[in-house]
Amino acid sequence: MTPAQFEKQIEPRWQKLEQLLTDVEFGKPREDVVELPATFRQVCHDLSVAQHRMSPQRLTQRLNALALRAYRVLERRSSGGWESLLRLLLVEFPQAVRAEWKLFWWCTALFYIPAVLIAVITPAHPEWAMALLGPEGMAGIESMYGEDSTPADYVRDNFGSGFAAFCFYIWNNVGIDFKIFAGGILGGVGSLFVLLFNGIYLGAVFGYVHYSGNPLTLYTWVVAHGAPELTGIVISAMAGLRVGLCVLNPGRLERRAALVLAGRKALPLLIGAAVMTSLAAVLEGFWSPLNLPPVMKFTAGGLCWLLVAAFLIFSGRRQADAT
Amino acid sequence: MAAARADTLQSVELADGVEIQLRVAGPAVRSMAYTLDLLLRLGIYAAVGIAAVFLIMPNLGMQMTTGLMLLFMFGMEWFFNVFFEAGPRGATPGQRAMGLRVMSLTGGPVTLAQAVMRNFLRVVDFMPGLYLTGFVCMLFTKRFQRLGDLVANTVMTYADLPPAITPQVEVRAERRAPSQMLTREEQSALLQFMERAPLWADERRIELSSLAEPLTQASGVEGLRRLCGMALWLQEPEEKRGTPPPLKGAAPLPS
Repeated sequence: MTPAQFEKQIEPRWQKLEQLLTDVEFGKPREDVVELPATFRQVCHDLSVAQHRMSPQRLTQRLNALALRAYRVLERRSSGGWESLLRLLLVEFPQAVRAEWKLFWWCTALFYIPAVLIAVITPAHPEWAMALLGPEGMAGIESMYGEDSTPADYVRDNFGSGFAAFCFYIWNNVGIDFKIFAGGILGGVGSLFVLLFNGIYLGAVFGYVHYSGNPLTLYTWVVAHGAPELTGIVISAMAGLRVGLCVLNPGRLERRAALVLAGRKALPLLIGAAVMTSLAAVLEGFWSPLNLPPVMKFTAGGLCWLLVAAFLIFSGRRQADAT
Repeated sequence: MAAARADTLQSVELADGVEIQLRVAGPAVRSMAYTLDLLLRLGIYAAVGIAAVFLIMPNLGMQMTTGLMLLFMFGMEWFFNVFFEAGPRGATPGQRAMGLRVMSLTGGPVTLAQAVMRNFLRVVDFMPGLYLTGFVCMLFTKRFQRLGDLVANTVMTYADLPPAITPQVEVRAERRAPSQMLTREEQSALLQFMERAPLWADERRIELSSLAEPLTQASGVEGLRRLCGMALWLQEPEEKRGTPPPLKGAAPLPS
């Protein structure tokens, strides 16, 4: 068969494919659309033959572009919508946390141990915490947790309303989650740095309030929203370290493939952490500024911690493993 | 094919087993697309900001407006690209203007998960400034992938390959067999030379064909003539023969 004969022979096939694709892309598929997959495979075959026979570029490029277009149409998948999002949050996310439980405890330790250490030594040696917080940080703490001020005043002065505060917390805290995750690709160093820094800063705030403010105000303020917020930070660091550890130690996989797999494992963690932090922002904006008796605050806060723990431990257990 | 080494075509194998070529986009055109998107985002911020000052602020007050703007900024900074890249066109407005499209390395469209992954990692690609990390990473990967692309398994490609310009000119030369066995790359080079030769000036054709002097054993116009003859022979070794030449090893097409 001469090249010209070959070209003539395959022409009706790719013309048919082009017609079918045009119909589908305009959203008006006709009845013959069922022939699309078969025609696509036929054109793929023609492309292989054309490549092998070194047919003129005019032909191979046209077939190449057509095959690409058809593959795009055939591979287009409708996302699962709300159902798959719900499944991601309620099943895959806690499953992913449990699957990486060692990493979870490492991140928890790396976050809380420095925080507790610096909080414990601050009342005796406040200069470290003061250096960390700086004059502005100290003034902010005085205005929130000072002897005769309440966080509610602080929120009203700074944000005006709970909703405005909520917006600020979403922008700031969820953004921090995303940045902690992104830093993980640098061998985990970025995630570790932000995690440690946030832990130390948190410890410094607690220690400084014990040193010069009213600790009860602070604890009634943070106890409820702290549960999802701090857990969110720890889990986003997990997501970052998951990717970072694969860069350092890809195991038996090629490093590039290991990275892609790690990214897939990290995604439920990241989304889950972001949603947890958003919930924390709701609590922080609307619940925490309320002036309620400390007993109520601590009961509700304890309930929040229990809920978070129970969710991470039990949710999605009966569902089949996602992986 | 030999041609794949001189340009930015990259082969990708589809699930159906056929190899497809993608034309990956380099740092220059991508930074232009990014600049366009940046200008667009700034424009949107300005428009929304002005609208907020005149419509929302008188009703809800200054602090509420700031809060809403922060929420809007959060969405724009993290999800602007995700929204467009995971959409049906697979490209942000800036990328579309430059004729680019994000694709999965499997050859298919980008999924939402991939779009999230490649865009959230922008923070690191941007460090220490002006996408330096991403740029260096692109130079070290053959598909111009930045860190986000590597993790998400995506590539930035030109949406449409420019059509090959091939003038239909009949090459008048005497068909002749090459004096020695040619590899597939060499055969392909000869065929592409003949395909593209009508686009060049005479001097260029002769200059290029003189590179093949060891094969043609002639220089100048005679060398060009012999080279075209060999290319013709490669296309059809003998006239009026039904089967393809055994040298090229093609299986007959089922008809």
